[in-house]
Order: sequence, then structure tokens, then C-alpha cells
Amino acid sequence: MNIKLKTCASAIALAAAALCAAPAAAQSPRPIKIGFVTELTGPWTFFGTSCVAGLKFATDEINKAGGVLGRPLEFIVTDNQTKSDQALAASRNLDINDKVLALSGPTSSDVALAMYGYAEQQKIPFLVPVAAFPQLTKPGTRYTFRIEPDAAGWGYAMAKYIEQVKPGAKVALMHSDAALMRAIMAGFRYQAPRSKLNIVADIMFPQGSSDATVQAAQVRAAAPDYVIVSGAGAFDNVITNQLLDLGIKPQQIIHPYGITTQVFGWGQRSVGSIYGTFFDVGLDSLTPSGKDFIARFDAANNRPPSYVENYCYVTPYIFKEAIEAAGTADDREKLRNAISALNTKERTSGVPIVFDKNGARKEYMYFQEIVSVNGKRSYQSKQRFYIEWDPEVIPVYDLVK
Amino acid sequence: MKPASDRALWIFAAAALALPIIADGNKFLAFVLGMTYISLLWATGMNLMYGFVGLMPLMFAGVAGIAGYAVVHLTRELGWSFWLAMPVATVMAALAGVALGLPSLRLKGFYFTLCSLVIQTVLTLAFIFFPTYTNGDTGINQIAPPDWFGGQLKGLGLELMIALFTVVGILICAWIVRSPLGQRFVAIREDDILAEAIGIRVVRCKIIAFFIVSLYAGVGGCFYSVYIGFISPRAFDVLVSMNIWLFVAFGGRGTIAGPIIGTAILAPIPFLLQDLQAFKDILSGVLIIVVTLLMPGGIYGAWLARRRRTQKAMTDSARVQESRV
Amino acid sequence: MTDAQILILMSTLSTGLILGAIFALVAAGVTIVYGCVWLPNASNGQFFLLASLAAWTFTASFGWTSLAAAAGVLILGTALSYLLEWILIRRLYDTPNRNVAYFVVTLGLTQIMTGIFSLTYAKWSDQFTLPPIIEGITMFGPFPMPNNRLVVMGVSLLVLVLLFVLLRYHPYGRALRAVFQNREAAALRGVNVRAIYRLSFVLGSVIIFLGGILFALAYSYDLTVAWTMSITAFAIMIIGGPGSVIGALVIGMTFGFTQAIVSIFASPTAATFSYLGAMLLILLFRPSGLFKR
Repeated sequence: MNIKLKTCASAIALAAAALCAAPAAAQSPRPIKIGFVTELTGPWTFFGTSCVAGLKFATDEINKAGGVLGRPLEFIVTDNQTKSDQALAASRNLDINDKVLALSGPTSSDVALAMYGYAEQQKIPFLVPVAAFPQLTKPGTRYTFRIEPDAAGWGYAMAKYIEQVKPGAKVALMHSDAALMRAIMAGFRYQAPRSKLNIVADIMFPQGSSDATVQAAQVRAAAPDYVIVSGAGAFDNVITNQLLDLGIKPQQIIHPYGITTQVFGWGQRSVGSIYGTFFDVGLDSLTPSGKDFIARFDAANNRPPSYVENYCYVTPYIFKEAIEAAGTADDREKLRNAISALNTKERTSGVPIVFDKNGARKEYMYFQEIVSVNGKRSYQSKQRFYIEWDPEVIPVYDLVK
Repeated sequence: MKPASDRALWIFAAAALALPIIADGNKFLAFVLGMTYISLLWATGMNLMYGFVGLMPLMFAGVAGIAGYAVVHLTRELGWSFWLAMPVATVMAALAGVALGLPSLRLKGFYFTLCSLVIQTVLTLAFIFFPTYTNGDTGINQIAPPDWFGGQLKGLGLELMIALFTVVGILICAWIVRSPLGQRFVAIREDDILAEAIGIRVVRCKIIAFFIVSLYAGVGGCFYSVYIGFISPRAFDVLVSMNIWLFVAFGGRGTIAGPIIGTAILAPIPFLLQDLQAFKDILSGVLIIVVTLLMPGGIYGAWLARRRRTQKAMTDSARVQESRV
Repeated sequence: MTDAQILILMSTLSTGLILGAIFALVAAGVTIVYGCVWLPNASNGQFFLLASLAAWTFTASFGWTSLAAAAGVLILGTALSYLLEWILIRRLYDTPNRNVAYFVVTLGLTQIMTGIFSLTYAKWSDQFTLPPIIEGITMFGPFPMPNNRLVVMGVSLLVLVLLFVLLRYHPYGRALRAVFQNREAAALRGVNVRAIYRLSFVLGSVIIFLGGILFALAYSYDLTVAWTMSITAFAIMIIGGPGSVIGALVIGMTFGFTQAIVSIFASPTAATFSYLGAMLLILLFRPSGLFKR
């Protein structure tokens, strides 16, 4: 062969080798994309960012362990500014441009409801990590699944707890006039007579209330066994403290729900009070994974996680199981069916994960007693009650429109 | 201020109608375009009141909300066609707008703005606390697209329809501005006591203005409902009114081109610049302050002023040249 | 009277006085600035919140006592007000019809501050509390009143009285009122109108900051309190009469007591609508408010 031919041949050989090497290098698999539209700015910033913190833990773990079906799991986190139209725009964008497999993310029920319409219309599996409005799984829902028990159910669970602890108890209600509290109280008021409880005071505060002393005095006058306190935001602390100021005992106070910052807010004064939750450092049933998650989250964020972070931690694992059960990560319909058929447990607490025909999960609640609060750093709680129930044990879709 | 030339208007109309077709390839951009058009329709209405009559109606979004909720109620509960429900809902909202505006007719400037702010707050609260019609805080979702000859009007078809209404709205606004009615508006804006003195029935003009402006709000509200598919009290609250006002003030109030420029620049921002969203409030606030302090005429106003100065400068130097000869 | 009735009566009194005093202070701050500089401060709620949040940062992050935090916030607030006046407020002193321009500018300021809070405090916590100034409880018959609440009540009422005395008797106060009533005449008499503008803006803003600190000492709060307080302050100012400090005091107290007893006599929804309704009625039929300047 003359030199020219040799050079050509070697050039071709080199090129071929390069071409072979390139695809091998580009062989890292396509990620599975899931749209995560959550509240990174706006009034619900705190919940959205807490959620993303929990989400990141799980995604890192899953991807380190090899991903799902050999592909990395990627959540495209988008801000919805706690606004429905932004959430819709983001969902559209994720659906059409990124062609995500599924949607997830909102912690605000308003926003979740806006995305719900889009998901059902476009037939996109939509797994809602934290949002308690019952309408998210109203009869006929096909593509939306809700992990957190619905708010009316929380009221039901509270009534069952009091029934078990003190049958025939006299109960006072003090709550803010927000949609979430109305739903919880609707559930409670429905179940209370059925649990043989007497509601001796029922006080609702308008939005923007600052002071509850007078109402606390009214409640004190009614001599209840228990006072259920559910204020919006910081007002919850105000009601609690003013009740305690007037001589109500912490053991008499029940909060329908409590996340870490709320427990810190109630503080040492509320030792002995009860709060409802879905995940907590003081659960009896924490699994080793759960304890590990708590330890690592605490180290990274200087506070223990509660149920918001937990649900967002559990969400990627639910997707992982469902995608693996479906056998493919490219078919929305198959994913939807796999989620619907899922029968598994939460990684962190062993609580069952099963969805009914409308996408509502079989519901459950823990009631914890505050044992001690260590400033803003940590707290101890003791599990006092656990209950599971079917979402439609009360006529939830009629109680809360 | 020179009225917009006919040619400019027709060029704009053609472009506005062509844009959705061009953008159709990218569904997300098409969506942003649709939202921009609805905002533009609203801005045109706001401009009529703020730019030409001189009053800042912060209850604009509430009126849009009345129409939005009404059209959903009429199509869902009563089964009407969207094309029947929309005019009815819009007129209802316009009448409500006039009724709500009536008491504040005698107010001017800051008091009018404050009064409209209070009315807007009342409307938002009404949306929240009368859930029979509005489903309260939860909102109404899964609103169906408008019906269209047996099928549904969505996607490109709906966007073209919105574009059409917006263009027609702007053309109507341009026509009003040039008409005697429009000149009366400007007279009221400049000095309403003087206007009354020279025979303009100020109260009657204001009522007419309220009605027309509320029509714009209402049509936008109807289309918003079916385009987004979800409405809630927050979709029609005071921040929306203020945003629309900002589009007008930023672009240049009292002109036809001003709101178009302002809306075209500002409306897509929340949807497009995702990274900037955290700073959206700050940006919006800074813009409001900058516009009020430095650019009372908006972008278009500043550009017009610059052009006038350059023209004047050129004319003067030309005169000097001539005088030399 | 039974114990229960005494409790309800005493709690109505204490709540009415505290809330009333704080509302009155904030409304007074807003009305002073409006009456004197013709500046309706739409961002008064954000100022209020800024004071509360700054106090929280001083106690929670720096570990100061509540008293030190209050002092710190007042000093910071005064400096901030001067700065704001210098950068922004003085630019519109000579504009005709500047109240609309000021209203809009302060709306812009509201947006900016909301954005800043959203990027910072909103991410740090969803609720804020300050440690009490004094611990312990004092019994008034069967009615237990936390000493902290007593202190807040006392200080708020004291500041209100001092403000009233300042405006009525002190030379600076007299100059302020002169400019309120007739700025041309005041200028002719040798009053430095621009300096008075500056002083009243700073005074008004500092009073609002003080209201925010007192509120934070008495209650737990979150970011929504800004908007609520803004609307309340404007409502009080309008009903009481823009520029009338007496009006702000009287109507502020009325609002405080109304909020205290709302659950005894009326439904919460009615209460919310009623004060907006009152504001509308005044705007439409007696725009100068119930009290003259």
C-alpha cells in the first residue's frame, strides 16, 4: 500500500474507533422525568421548600442504588408561586416540552386542585404528596392519587381518639375560618354525636384575627374536658397560649395536626398536649429506614422532619415501585394502573399504602403527646393512639364540597 | 397625543392574528401567548379608564371575576352555550361594575383609588364567602372549553378566537378615543370641574366609561375561565388589578400603543423567566416605583418625548441653515 | 357576677385595650404622614411586619432579650425611615396631586418588601414568637393576666398619651399641626416645611414600627399580618378622618373592642364585612371622616 492509502486507512480506523467510543460514552441512560410543581415562593414557601428537602434525600438514595429500571429518576422541580395559574402553566410546560411521565409536588390544596383538572384531562398520573382537600379524589377520579389522608378524615380520627380516651367527653372547638379548618371540623362534627361526644362550645375566628382571650374565657366558662385548637398559621399559638393563660391545662388541648415548627412554637408550655400527625420522631413503628431518614435530615437541616418532609421522601419510592411493577417508564396508562394496584408500605413507618378506586389512600392517623421541647432544635413525643380507616367511612365528598 | 394611525392599527391587527398560528408549534409558547392576549384585552380596558378618564379602578379584577364565575355557572348549571353565556355574563358584570362604581362617582384621585380598593376587597371576600356560586376558596376546576359546532373550541382555535376579541377590543378602543366621547373623557381627565363648566355631563360620561371598561374586564374574565380551566378568588384579586395597571403605566397610559408594549413585555415574564420568579415581586415593585417617579408616560411616552425633542432639535438647526442662505 | 362572667368581662377589657392601642398607634402613624406630607402609606403593614421580624431576628438569631431587641428595632427603624425619605419620599414633595403618586409608589414598595420577606423569612419559619419581657402572672380577682401582656398594654397606652401630648403642646408638635392645617401659612410663619415633612415621615414610620414591636411582644405572628394590618390601618384612618390623630385613636380603640367581642355578639363573617362597609359608607358620604383634623 502506498503511503496515501495507509494514511487514509489509519484515519478511517481512528474515526471508526472514535465513533465507537462516543456512543459508549453517551450510553448513560435517559433519566425518567417526573414533573414536581411545588410552592417555592408565595405564602406556602415553607411547606414547598421543606417538601423538596425530603424529596432530594429519596432521589439521591434511589439513584445511588441504581435508579429505576436501570435509569436515573429525575424530578423536575418547578416553582408555582402558590398560584393556580402558574401551576397550570408549569404543568403544561412539563407535559408538552419535557414530556414528563407523571406530575407531583403541590403542598397547597388550592394549587393541587388546579393541577388536578389538567391531569385528569390530559390523562397524566398525578401523585399529590401533601394536600388534604377531599375533592382531589372525588368519585370518578382516575389519574390523581393522594398520599395524605383527607382533612375531614382528620376530624373523624380526632373524634375516635377522644371516644376511646374519655367516652362521653365535653369538647370545645376553636378554629380559624380557613378551608382546611372547615373541612376538619366538618368531619369532627359529623362523627362527634356518633362517638357520643358533646360539643359544648364551637367558636370560629374570622381571617385576620389577632387575639383569642375573650373566646378563651368563653370556652373556660363552658368547662370542657377537651379543647380542639386549630388556628391558621401563627394564630394557633395565640389561641393555645391564651387558653393556657386562663387556666386550661395542656392535657386538655388537642391540635388536629402538628408539624415540627408548630411543636417548637407550642413549646415547653404545651407539654402534655396532644396533636395529630402522619409521621413523627416519636412514632412507635419507625422502621430502621425511618430512623435513618430522621437522623440524616436532622443533621442536614437542623430540625427533625415531620410529615410534610416524610410524604415528599416517600413519593419517589412510590413512583419507583409503581414503575417497576408496570415494567416500563414510558407509558402513562400503565403507570396509572400500577399505582392504582399498589399494595405496599411506607418505607419510614411501615404504614400501608393502598389506594381506593378514586385514588384516595387508605387513611390513618397518629396522635402524639408532647413530652418535652428543646428550644427550636428537637422535641420528644409519645404515641398515644393510632387508627386506620377507609376514606369513605364518613360521607366525605358530601360533607366538604 | 397623536392618535394611532390607521395603518399602524391594521398592521398590528394582522400581526396579532398571525402570531398564534406561527406559535402553534410550541404549545407552551402558544399558551403564554394566549395569556398575554387576555392580559392585553384587560389592559386596554384599564387604559380607557386610567389613561383617558384619569381614574385608577382597582376593582377591575373583581368585575372580571363576576363575569368569570357567571359564565361558568351559566354553562355548567344551566347548560347554556358559551357563546350565549359570555355576552350575558359580560353585561351582568358590566352592570355590576357600574353599580359598584356609582357611589364613587364623586370621588377623585386618591379617594377613588382607595374606594375601588375597598370594593375589590369586598368582591374578593364575596367570592370566598358565598360558596354556593363560587365554591369559595377551593375554586372551580375542570372548566370545559367553549362549545363549537358540536365539538369543543380549544388549542389553536381558542387562541385565535381570543386574539380576535383582543384585536377587536383594541380597534374599538381606538375608535372610542378618536370619537367625541373619547375627547370628553380626556377633558374630564385634565380638569373635570372645567369640563362640567363647558357643558360636559361628567357624571354621565363616567357612568358610560365604567360600563365600557367593565365590558372589557368581563370578556377577559370569561375567556380566562375557559382558557385556564380553573378559577378561584385569588385569580381575580387586587394583585391582578395592580398588575394590569402596571402593564398600562409601564407601557404608556393614554395611548393605544402603550398598553400593547407594556403587556407584551411584562405579561410573559412570570411564565417564561422561571429563574427570575423568586424576584418577581421585587422586580414588579421596582418597576412600579420607577415608572411613577421617572417615566410617568411609560415606555412609549418616554420614546415619544424623545422623538419630539429630536424633531424639535432638527427643525431648529434646519432653520438656522436656511437663515444662512 | 359569676367567675365565668368576670373572666369574660376582664378579657374583653384587656383585649380591647391592647388591640385598640396597637391599632390606634399604627393608624396614628399612617394618619400623621398622610395629613402632613399627603402621603398615604400603603406599605404600612410591611413596615409593621418588618419591625416584628427584625425583633425576632434579634432575639432568635442574636440571642438578645426582648427589651434589647425592641430598642434595636427602634434605632434601626429610625435610621431606615431617614434613608427612605432621602432616597424616595422627598422626590415627590413638589408634585401636585402627589397623594395618588405616593399611594402607587408605596404599593410598589409593598411588593418589594413582600418579595424580600418571601425570599428570607418565609423560608425560615411559618410562625414567629418573641420571648416575653417579664414572666409570671398577676391575678385580677379570678382573672389571670400574664405580666408580659400587662407590660405591652401599659406601654402602648403610655405611647398614645405621649403622642397626644407631643402633638398638642410641644413646639415640634405644634409645627406639625400648623403644616397639617395650612402649609402656606405655616411657611409664611417661618416653619421649615420640608424639614417638617421629613420629621413627620420619620415620626409616623417609627410609630408604626413601635406598633409592630408591641404586637410581636404580645402575640405570635406570621407574614399574613402585614396585609391585615394595612387594611385595618387604612380603614381606621378613613373612618376617623385622614390627618386626624384623635380620630385614629378613637376609631382604633373601637376596632380593638369590636374584634374582642365579635364572637359573643355576631358571626365572624358579618364582622369582616362590617368594617369594610363602614369604610365605604364614610368614603361615600363623609370623606373627611368622623373627626376633623
